[in-house]
Amino acid sequence: MLLLDIKNLTIELKTPDALVRAVDRVNLSLREGEIRGLVGESGSGKSLIAKAIVGVLNKRWQVTADRFSWRGQDLLNLSYDEQRKIIGRDIAMIYQEPSRSLDPTAAILEQLEEAVPDHLLDGPWWKRSYLRRRKAIGLLHKVGIRDHQSVLQSVPYQLSEGICQKIMIAMAIAKNPKLLIADEPTTALESTTQAQLFRLLASFNQLKGMSVLLISHELESIARYTQSLSVLYCGQLVEAGETAAILKQPYHPYTHALIKSVPEFQPNLQPKTPLYALPGSIPVLQHLPIGCRLGPRCPNARKECVKTPSLERLQNHYFSCHFPLTGKND
Amino acid sequence: MSILLEVRNLHKTYRKQAGLFRQRSICALNDVSFSLAEGKTLAIVGETGSGKSTLAKLLVGIEKPDSGEILLAGTVAKISHYRQYNHMIRFIFQDAAKSLNPHQKVGQMLDDVLRFSTVLDSHQRRQKIRMTLKQLGLLDEHSEYYPHMFSGGQLQRVALARALILDPKLLILDEALTALDPSLRAQIVNLLLDLQQKSGLAYLLITNHLRLVKHIADDLLVLHQGMTLDYGTTAQVFSHPQHDYSRKLINSLTA
Ligand SMILES: Nc1ncnc2c1ncn2[C@@H]1O[C@H](COP(=O)(O)OP(=O)(O)OP(=O)(O)O)[C@@H](O)[C@H]1O
Ligand SMILES: Nc1ncnc2c1ncn2[C@@H]1O[C@H](COP(=O)(O)OP(=O)(O)O)[C@@H](O)[C@H]1O
Ligand code: SF4
Ligand SMILES: [Mg+2]
Ligand SMILES: [Mg+2]
Repeated sequence: MLLLDIKNLTIELKTPDALVRAVDRVNLSLREGEIRGLVGESGSGKSLIAKAIVGVLNKRWQVTADRFSWRGQDLLNLSYDEQRKIIGRDIAMIYQEPSRSLDPTAAILEQLEEAVPDHLLDGPWWKRSYLRRRKAIGLLHKVGIRDHQSVLQSVPYQLSEGICQKIMIAMAIAKNPKLLIADEPTTALESTTQAQLFRLLASFNQLKGMSVLLISHELESIARYTQSLSVLYCGQLVEAGETAAILKQPYHPYTHALIKSVPEFQPNLQPKTPLYALPGSIPVLQHLPIGCRLGPRCPNARKECVKTPSLERLQNHYFSCHFPLTGKND
Repeated sequence: MSILLEVRNLHKTYRKQAGLFRQRSICALNDVSFSLAEGKTLAIVGETGSGKSTLAKLLVGIEKPDSGEILLAGTVAKISHYRQYNHMIRFIFQDAAKSLNPHQKVGQMLDDVLRFSTVLDSHQRRQKIRMTLKQLGLLDEHSEYYPHMFSGGQLQRVALARALILDPKLLILDEALTALDPSLRAQIVNLLLDLQQKSGLAYLLITNHLRLVKHIADDLLVLHQGMTLDYGTTAQVFSHPQHDYSRKLINSLTA
């Protein structure tokens, strides 16, 4: 069964002059137990999508969708409070900005204990606070923090960013969520801990069937840990499908450029030589190009590209490009 | 090739209150020395808490070393004289968003930097701002944006613009490339390599991204619990790490 199924998610910012569309009709689905990667240029809307799913965008943003179902239940038909209740119980998120998850003035112990829901403490009430503390310590151990005593007494600013990131992961998994949305969870971590945390997420995925939506710039980790992949460019879905298939043969020129720009995927690259990069940069939302949004930067653009390409499907592989790179004409 | 930055026997200990009467001290840097020549890149790698950011903070002058010396172009740098060399060394920190004033438009912020440290007139400043934004793949209209209107990766570019706009000699990047998406990272890496070739800019690259280190760093220093484990050319450290910890780190790449 599909755990999460979103169709035509659109996220718009209300400004005095106009409604600016930051995310444009994006489809996103996750099966139970699946790990899906979400990649794309900075500013393409990944964090906005994540925040829209957990419902933390403020009133200036208008979020609409044709379908938004969670475990078969259409959330669009529920009241706001009911939506919040379901999402709060089942979905956890690790934010890209540590400051959104951690209170800078409160001790880690307090914050971790607060993240543990009552129903996960099985024991008589007089043991609750002891159990809660035990659970908090256990969570720290799970994310690889052994020196729990000094960490628990610290406040976030005394700790390095990497430790803070581990604590956020501990807080997120405290409620045994069905879906964990991890927005660049490991950027501040060293490669050994990075690997450790990805393995941790993978083991939670296997043992508890926790699904993960992994937003990351590390294509290597995406390749290793995700089964499916969605690629965004400038607020639109440009390619989606199985991770292995996409990385082997991307259909969309943006995905192709993305893969080629990563030194990991270019074993013969000489040190200090230029990396492959598309010219130019992602357009601002107020001045989008006509037709395909990659057009001005696309090496394959032709005159047909002034028409917006629609999302097409070849077996399980979705792409939106008039001239997909199917291998033959590449 | 002239030595731009030399660091000799740096020590830094933080004291933390642990309980009412006890103090715990954390040795964040223990006898760290290295040097960096013009036009070269030195990478500093190490796990979280190994002292990397502390090192950067000492170089900026946010924190004072307990002992040791920092020499800039052969002369001892005094923290109190930080303003004198602030256009020579520029820093980009891990969390770009934190270092930007939320109430100031990006163009205004860049203009302030120029007004503070250069003698350019307003026309020249505007031109310099436009050029720098373009160099970093930002657009003219981004001048009118406030920091919260950018995504994480875009903010990192803004921070880079603020650092590069003064044409520094040394740029310290504390995990500044990690938060960028790959295509943007490729663009910025190319820009940094290009600047280095053309103007001899030196980089101190603090990162955990070993692939990137392998690609752009000439020298590599492995830091562990405040101490230098391995220090040498990147190729040398990658092929013959002297310490188990460094070996583990390098193997995590190929595993
Ligand atoms: N408060 C805001 N006001 C105006 N524009 C905004 C605001 N917040 C975000 N945006 C814009 O929305 C777009 C999507 O931002 P988002 O944070 O989702 O990007 P992202 O894909 O997560 O990027 P990154 O990989 O850099 O984190 C960007 O173009 C950004 O400039
Ligand atoms: N302001 C501070 N007060 C107390 N301890 C600190 C402070 N800043 C850093 N530390 C401690 O110093 C050590 C090194 O930290 P840091 O240099 O930030 O590590 P890195 O950047 O390598 O992850 C860590 O144990 C950290 O907790
Ligand atoms: S539709 Fe045209 S411009 Fe857009 S990605 Fe495809 S080839 Fe490039
Ligand atoms: Mg983001
Ligand atoms: Mg650090």
